[in-house]
Amino acid sequence: MEYFLDINKEQEQLKTNLMTMNMGPQHPATHGVLRVEIKTDSEVVAQAIPHLGYLHRCMEKHCEHLDFRGVIPFCDRMDYLAAMNMEWGYCLTVEKLLGTEVPVRAQYIRTIVAEMQRIASHLMFFGTYAIDLGAFTPFLYAFQDREFILRIFEELSGARLLYNYIWLGGVWNDINDDQLQRISNWIEEMEESMKKYHALVGENKIFIERTANVGVIDKEMAFDYGATGPVLRGSGVDWDLRKTRPYGMYEKFDFNTVVGKGEKGRVGDCWDRYYVRVFEIFESLKILRQCLEGIEAGPVIGKVSKIVKPAPAEIFLRTECPRGELGYHLITDGSKKPYRLKVKSSCFTHVSMLPDIGPGQLIADFVASIGSIDIVLGEVDR
Amino acid sequence: MHNEVASFLNSSVSGSQATAVIAELGDSTVFVDSSKILEVCKALRHSQWDFNVLQVITGCDYPDRIEVSYILASFTQNHELILKTKLPRTNPELESVVSIWKAANFQERECYDMFGVVFKNHPDLRRILCPDDWQGFPLRKDYVVQEKYLDMTVNPAHKINSGDFFFYKEIQQKMGDPKKVTFSWKGSGDDTETAEA
Repeated sequence: MEYFLDINKEQEQLKTNLMTMNMGPQHPATHGVLRVEIKTDSEVVAQAIPHLGYLHRCMEKHCEHLDFRGVIPFCDRMDYLAAMNMEWGYCLTVEKLLGTEVPVRAQYIRTIVAEMQRIASHLMFFGTYAIDLGAFTPFLYAFQDREFILRIFEELSGARLLYNYIWLGGVWNDINDDQLQRISNWIEEMEESMKKYHALVGENKIFIERTANVGVIDKEMAFDYGATGPVLRGSGVDWDLRKTRPYGMYEKFDFNTVVGKGEKGRVGDCWDRYYVRVFEIFESLKILRQCLEGIEAGPVIGKVSKIVKPAPAEIFLRTECPRGELGYHLITDGSKKPYRLKVKSSCFTHVSMLPDIGPGQLIADFVASIGSIDIVLGEVDR
Repeated sequence: MHNEVASFLNSSVSGSQATAVIAELGDSTVFVDSSKILEVCKALRHSQWDFNVLQVITGCDYPDRIEVSYILASFTQNHELILKTKLPRTNPELESVVSIWKAANFQERECYDMFGVVFKNHPDLRRILCPDDWQGFPLRKDYVVQEKYLDMTVNPAHKINSGDFFFYKEIQQKMGDPKKVTFSWKGSGDDTETAEA
């Protein structure tokens, strides 16, 4: 594909040599091991080609050699910043094939951990995106609050990053009243502090100058590339799987979809994607509050036979992860291992937009664009 | 819905041989002829079905065939469809659909990388996840890991899990019983407390 700029005749005379530069694989702004080969015309990006695969572990091949329960820890390791959501998606897929009934308490706990994970992931974005744009302090604020979530997860599952907590049929460990009380106290604090953080970063003049009207992804482009999640909502599309194709218990809860409105610039710019993520934290807190009200006593894991053997079938199931829609395409052949498990990663789709966003931007703005689509390379490469 | 899609395809694209496979468990699919995939996708994109988003292009390897799945979704009418086509295992070829959805670019590259399906008229068909000089297609069932890659031995025997081995050996020497791990998280924020054997 031709990624070059349209250079009109006047500029043609001024045209200088393009310089090739490698941004990454070891570059703090690419959030992992992504290499973007950029051809620069002075300080303007003329062409950007992403090179993936530095973190490729061929998880899909590994999964074909594991039983259905053994796949769950591998799901953690794909998107390691949203491990709970990854597990939940996989468990829902297999449970749908098995026809397993998940107890109500387990469903509440799953929603609680998934929404807390979403907040943790968005806080991570909030902190690192500010670093990308040269502000260091918000990172420390974000990690302070993320620490509470990781503490709770550590108490629940024993691990801080990769949990293996959501199991087929329910969750591994029950949550106790003390933890629920602490979460409920934290929600109040979090709401106040998040308002403060947004005022500190999102309404900051320098931040707005750096992000408004930068890296615009319009509606058509978002659909064309199959963008999902906050990137799609940032482009002004009211689409959230929790609303449009509800799974789990999301039908019960009252919350809003946050859609980018182009408040500071055009619809679909970097500021809008920032706005969607930050305000989704408030919506997640709303859901958490309703969960804490509604949670009831009962078992936390349903009846699943020791050897999981779904009948031969094919299924594709999508769930809403912090970074976008996650889909599991599972093909079974009646044995105790998946015949084929394809993971549809939203980050992989979003990276494919870089050749289209990049050309014509300053290098510094390109960094802002990469940061704003919030990729995790573990999920891109799988 | 799948039966209607199949009859729509049969009437609008001649030779597409669309058949709906209705599944009792899981998702139903629509099979089409591999030579007409571009026309079929075009018809589905610009019709009353309005499949405006291409989610996934992926394959599945069987002993006698490769099945390529196109998972399409409509974000305006909120439905999705698994469109499948069968290919032979030797020299599988398909027409590229990048002209319809740009999302197909990376998806087709991944499918080529993992299954060796060649997409004709693709603008930039290279391997995407594996290195350019990798041999074989990893997600095929008969794939064997190459022994040497660029003069490096893949999976040398002395390196397999040696890290784990030494780690547990060290723990065993230090703590006596490796099953007794630290329980710092049970306390009230005191991280230094460890369980003594």
